[in-house]
Amino acid sequence: MRYVFTVAAVLLLMSGMARAADPVQVFACEPEWAALAEEIGGEAVTVFAATHARQDPHYIRARPSLIAALRRADLLVCSGGGLETGWLPVLLQKAGNRAISPGTDGYLLAASVIELRDVPERVDRSQGDVHPEGNPHLHLDPHNIDQVAGELAARLQAVDSTRAGLYQDRLEDFRRRWQVAVADWETRGARLQGLPVIVHHQAWHYLIGWLGLREVAALEPRPGIPPTGAHLEGLLQTVRSQPVAVILRTPYAPPDAADWLAERTGLPVRVLPYTVGGAEGVDDLFTLFEHTLQQLESVRVTETITN
Amino acid sequence: MHTFKRAALGAAAMIVVTPAAATDVEQDELAAVRAEIRAMRQAYEARIAELEGKLERLETRSEQPPAAVAEPAAAAGAPAAQRRRVYGNEFNPSIGVILNGRFSAFSESDSEIAGFGTGEEGERGREGLAVDESELNVAASVDDKFYGSMTAAIVREEGEDKVELEAAYFQTLGGAGLPTGLSLKAGRAFWTLGYLNEHHSHADDFADRPLPNRVFLDNTYNDDGVEFSYVLPTALYSEIGGGLFRGDDLPFGETGGSGPEAWSLFGRLGGDIGFNQSWRIGAYVLSGEAAGRVTNEGDVSFSGDTDLYVADLRYTWAPTGNARNQELTLQGEFFRRDEDGSYDVGAGPVRFDDAVNGGYVQAVYKFRPQWRVGARYSRLQAPEVPAGLVGSALDGGGHDPEAYALMLDWTHSEFSRVRLQYNREELSDGLQDDQFILQYIMSLGAHGAHKY
Repeated sequence: MRYVFTVAAVLLLMSGMARAADPVQVFACEPEWAALAEEIGGEAVTVFAATHARQDPHYIRARPSLIAALRRADLLVCSGGGLETGWLPVLLQKAGNRAISPGTDGYLLAASVIELRDVPERVDRSQGDVHPEGNPHLHLDPHNIDQVAGELAARLQAVDSTRAGLYQDRLEDFRRRWQVAVADWETRGARLQGLPVIVHHQAWHYLIGWLGLREVAALEPRPGIPPTGAHLEGLLQTVRSQPVAVILRTPYAPPDAADWLAERTGLPVRVLPYTVGGAEGVDDLFTLFEHTLQQLESVRVTETITN
Repeated sequence: MHTFKRAALGAAAMIVVTPAAATDVEQDELAAVRAEIRAMRQAYEARIAELEGKLERLETRSEQPPAAVAEPAAAAGAPAAQRRRVYGNEFNPSIGVILNGRFSAFSESDSEIAGFGTGEEGERGREGLAVDESELNVAASVDDKFYGSMTAAIVREEGEDKVELEAAYFQTLGGAGLPTGLSLKAGRAFWTLGYLNEHHSHADDFADRPLPNRVFLDNTYNDDGVEFSYVLPTALYSEIGGGLFRGDDLPFGETGGSGPEAWSLFGRLGGDIGFNQSWRIGAYVLSGEAAGRVTNEGDVSFSGDTDLYVADLRYTWAPTGNARNQELTLQGEFFRRDEDGSYDVGAGPVRFDDAVNGGYVQAVYKFRPQWRVGARYSRLQAPEVPAGLVGSALDGGGHDPEAYALMLDWTHSEFSRVRLQYNREELSDGLQDDQFILQYIMSLGAHGAHKY
């Protein structure tokens, strides 16, 4: 018994030791925030991404490896806005890590920095799995990325003040490159204004808002409820009565509903990467938006040809 | 802005000057100040009139459709410091209700698990239409240091609706100031003991618990007590913990003493294999003394020491990477119960010192986002029967009770589930019970995250 206590005491001491020179351990709930943390932190951080692009971030198992990663994290970066309510709270509770508990510098929710879209006036589950806080898929507007980058740099500086200068430099460098890229995307995106689209889930509202696309309908009858036959039949009528250019879905959404509609209407389906890792070659935030733009631009071209 | 400053200066001058007005000497100066204030007021009135005019013009213009909408880039100009509210839960505390009901049909009228003492909840459910445990859960973070939760279940027992306090506990949060990784839970809770015991039954993959949980734990061990857990700072998930308990709930019962009569220790390991597979294994000990554990509707009582050893394994695999669409879950638990004491079946205490094993394995496969199928096999090993117990309920005649279950369930949203289950139970020699269960589970309001 005494041996057990000694081991426990040693472990407790070890866990409390300052690790100034070690990289900051960043726990990112989604790949987009992992990518952003790497942009701002560079070599000074070690980033753990809790999910990958093929997973639906609403439904993640609170698996043991996530507890272990949270237990050792110095900074947590997540979308917030209710996206992770199904799994993050139970992990935080189990990890018992003060450094990343809500309200501390180590706890950063992107939704706390951004004004969310689609905040419902009425929350009733008959409307589907609506997030009372608003739509949490906020990273698909590059201006939001810029804002979160600023806050993330500030948090890194607070958590690891010895390298505050490095984070500031990297933030400024990132913002310079980002602004150039965003300007380019917006110039090209101007041609996409008003492009009528059908989406699978309301994961695209920020992208639609940013580029000025027009959402005609969603394949899900209610947010979070998988498409039903009756709803798809209804959509068939919608597509016949008004112009639609493309069906958009995430890599993690099941393909059957989008394919079903595409088959009957001849509409193209575009699987947009949605997040970093969502398509071949999409390995950072720049390629994420670049690839998305290219996919949408390819729709425009084919549509003009067929008309 | 400039005029504002002047106005403020004027006001300040008035305050300073007014008491001085009593003297004649400064009459001239006062007149000068008054004149200045008058001039200022006139200038102000002119400015206000100008602004009012502007406002009126703006108002008429906004009634017409806007000529140009602000660029999206303008939104990005908002300062990052503008904090938005982020809700932890919509209500404080969060309230959740579980509605649970079923229709059951059994081929046999009798369902005794031969050779074992079974508690009230471990018995087979009611036949026909029945409302199952309806749960009411109220939970919230108490403050930055503690989290509290209470779950009351309304159950029908012996023809009466009874309220059972299933759980009422507080737990430390990350901000509690304990060393990182350490947490403490106290009250009544579903204690850490194998996989299923920690979970509310509405989260189960089957309509009933497997045989070892029914017999050894009366479905769940939720005694009164305290438990600590410590997550080690390793890359692999590793956790150790233990607890002290009152010793009032099965496998114990009716504590006579004043101190805690039971204790537990556990250790768990877990991790990922690649991106789409994860696993967890655990080992647990629960040990204590029962002064009088009454089972089989009062026919059997046990007093003495009980040690329970449990090992569990859980493995999940999402073949497409997305567990929302397809997922395979394998799970198994092994139990060993070692008893040293005496059983009383109504004819005086009979010495009993023996160990029995039990366990189950199950596989659940989600083949479409809303559909799952599952199979489970559970088994108990018949104990040796001492001479004094031959012919009693504890005499299984050497038959090992076993049960098979098949289930199909449909989960419309995260909050509703309908399940069809078929059981074949061979609980005593020569008895074969075929059971059909159609069950619904509806979850209202806040519904907390589930553990792995």
